[in-house]
Amino acid sequence: MQLPLRHLLFAAMLLAALLCAAFAPAQATPITPTSDEQVIEVIPGGAGRAEERRLKRALSRQPQDAKLAVQLARRYMAEARASGDPRPAGQALAALKPWPDPATAPIDVLLMQATVQQYLHDFDGAAALLQQLLARDPAQPQAWLTLATIRRVQGLYAESDGGCNRLAALRVDLYAAACRAENDALRGRYEPARKDLQVLLANPSLDGDSRNWLLTTLAELEELAGRPEAADAAYRSALAASDDAYTRTAYADLLITLHREADALALLRDQPRTDAVLLRVAIAGTRAKSPGAARDAAEMRERIAQANLRPEARGVHAREQSMFALQVEAQPAHALDLARLNLRSQREPIDLRIFAQAARAAGQPAALQELDKLRQDIGLQDSRLAEATR
Amino acid sequence: MKYLFSLLMLALFAGPAAAHKASDAYLQLQQQPDGITLRWDIALRDLDAAIDLDTNGDGQLTWGEIKAAWPRIEAYALPRLQIAGCEMRPAGQGLEQRSDGAYAVLRFASPCQLGAHPAISYALMRDVDPTHRGLLNIQRSGQGAQLMVLDPSRDEPQGAGAAQPASATPSFLHEGVLHILTGYDHVLFLLCLLLTAVMRRTPQGWQPLDRLPQALLPIFGIVTSFTIAHSITLGLAATGQVTLPSWFIEPAIAVTIIVAAIDNLHPLFRGRRGVVTFFFGLIHGFGFAGALAELNLPTGAFAWALLQFNLGLELGQLAIVLVAVGLLYTLRRRTVYPRWVIGGGSTVAIVLGAMWLLERTTGLALLPV
Repeated sequence: MQLPLRHLLFAAMLLAALLCAAFAPAQATPITPTSDEQVIEVIPGGAGRAEERRLKRALSRQPQDAKLAVQLARRYMAEARASGDPRPAGQALAALKPWPDPATAPIDVLLMQATVQQYLHDFDGAAALLQQLLARDPAQPQAWLTLATIRRVQGLYAESDGGCNRLAALRVDLYAAACRAENDALRGRYEPARKDLQVLLANPSLDGDSRNWLLTTLAELEELAGRPEAADAAYRSALAASDDAYTRTAYADLLITLHREADALALLRDQPRTDAVLLRVAIAGTRAKSPGAARDAAEMRERIAQANLRPEARGVHAREQSMFALQVEAQPAHALDLARLNLRSQREPIDLRIFAQAARAAGQPAALQELDKLRQDIGLQDSRLAEATR
Repeated sequence: MKYLFSLLMLALFAGPAAAHKASDAYLQLQQQPDGITLRWDIALRDLDAAIDLDTNGDGQLTWGEIKAAWPRIEAYALPRLQIAGCEMRPAGQGLEQRSDGAYAVLRFASPCQLGAHPAISYALMRDVDPTHRGLLNIQRSGQGAQLMVLDPSRDEPQGAGAAQPASATPSFLHEGVLHILTGYDHVLFLLCLLLTAVMRRTPQGWQPLDRLPQALLPIFGIVTSFTIAHSITLGLAATGQVTLPSWFIEPAIAVTIIVAAIDNLHPLFRGRRGVVTFFFGLIHGFGFAGALAELNLPTGAFAWALLQFNLGLELGQLAIVLVAVGLLYTLRRRTVYPRWVIGGGSTVAIVLGAMWLLERTTGLALLPV
């Protein structure tokens, strides 16, 4: 009788150790270096770092050089987007700090400031800067396009249309047409929007990035239209044209809603574990009950806990935190609070869908009515949302 | 147009990709019976952005690089946190792994008492990343934790009430004075030049000067030429116009001391002392610039900070000259002056200079400073 008991004890201890390893809050673990050569931290930026440092030094000698500042800020933003890390975006703001007055700042500086603010989810601030810029010089297609994008995210389609029209007036035809098609799709005018996008895609001289962008727009249209197979095909074509993190996470979201968790995990397996990627991996893994799911969920939980030590972080990351609360933590009431907070700043279809799912899971029909009212005010037509609120 | 479009692509995908956490530092302030302790965790990536920890630029921060940079880390962080009424002293170091990377752990202590609403000035990362925040947790025995979010862009001390004037920016004037007074190599060089300034060389050896004005003019000349020379190179190096590596400058400064001291014992330069002092001053200026770089001058008010630092140096130098000349002038008629003050002093300077030279070229530690 003694042997089995000892085995049982051993098994219990092993299980406890594994559980500890999986759930231990690794909030702050001391590092004890063993040699001078031990690498403690890897600084992102790769091969471009030398050039970035050169620019940084040059700018610190001439902080008033707007051209240099914009050049450096653009590098930082490319790095922020590639890594999903807002630190370089903050550094871009620092490079642009010598021009605090939008009335006198050089146009390129203003544009860059607005781009950074948009990236940091300060949509109102970014839009205000763009409007001042455009009042000074209306012939700035980039500014109109960014403004149209921000207004779309905010659910202000009429204002977004205004930006698209200005692009058309400036003869930036591809972007004007795609801009309008995207707004048409959101309003439920799927057929004409699909045709417009297909016309643009028929151009054989399109570069890979533009093709990816148009195909991703088309995939999102097909999701709105309730045609998941067509959306799936469009996402795959988009990835074939140009592979990027945004397309992969958007496609993973579709695969998860189609209960194809294994495909979603395969799609994200070799991607850098940004928060956006880790969130989808944790959700898909939890739903599929995959072996590594608890560890991924614990890592995401810890990242959220650390980010939330800063009070305003919850608002900035409310979309992701709501998805995590509902689909991994199974806390629908908390998820609904976060989804409501998120809708204050972002009103893309995904934001309304997250709210609808949380409201349904929390058993809150009043919240669903509230959401439908908002949907009507925006003018959004989303077949999946209609399903969720029904 | 290609460039325009590539930029357009970037803007379109901006929205949904962001999610990583921003730059935060974590501060834990504890009131103990005998003073306060502070633990300050700063991301190594933030420190690298501020003061280039990755000295070889390979994107990998090794323990060796971090260890070597630790004095710079403390010199960067310490003046950027001011707690009214508390002067912080370094009290330990460490490294921590958090979910977004490795952090340097700085520990400080001060024998002071926190008020109910301590006024705190925080300027870490101010010129590097305005989205940075310091998340401060204040713990006192018998009370709940008090949380504060410290914003480096705010000029006034943060914290409820308690409008105590804590200086947020370090005084570069003060730093300049401090640097020359504690920069023993610069002081020793100056002293070597001054030892003989109250005497004159005659074929019979050193003879004391009769009147003070006879000494003052040559001293004024020497100090002025040293000052002009080091101001030139300090300015050139600080603005990045000319840079010389410290492996060259630091030993070269030691050599200037040895040569100046030998000249006291055995005339090398004779009438060209002013010219040689000027030349040596150029070398010392590069040394000052190295110290200035460690202070991490604000990029915005760079010229002003540089001027303050230089003025501080000159004030400190003036103080040294006044004290030294006064002392030497009163001693000059003693019969032992030529032998012990000039001879002994210069010999000591040669020995010290030689030890510095050895230390700075071989990395051996021979002297306590």
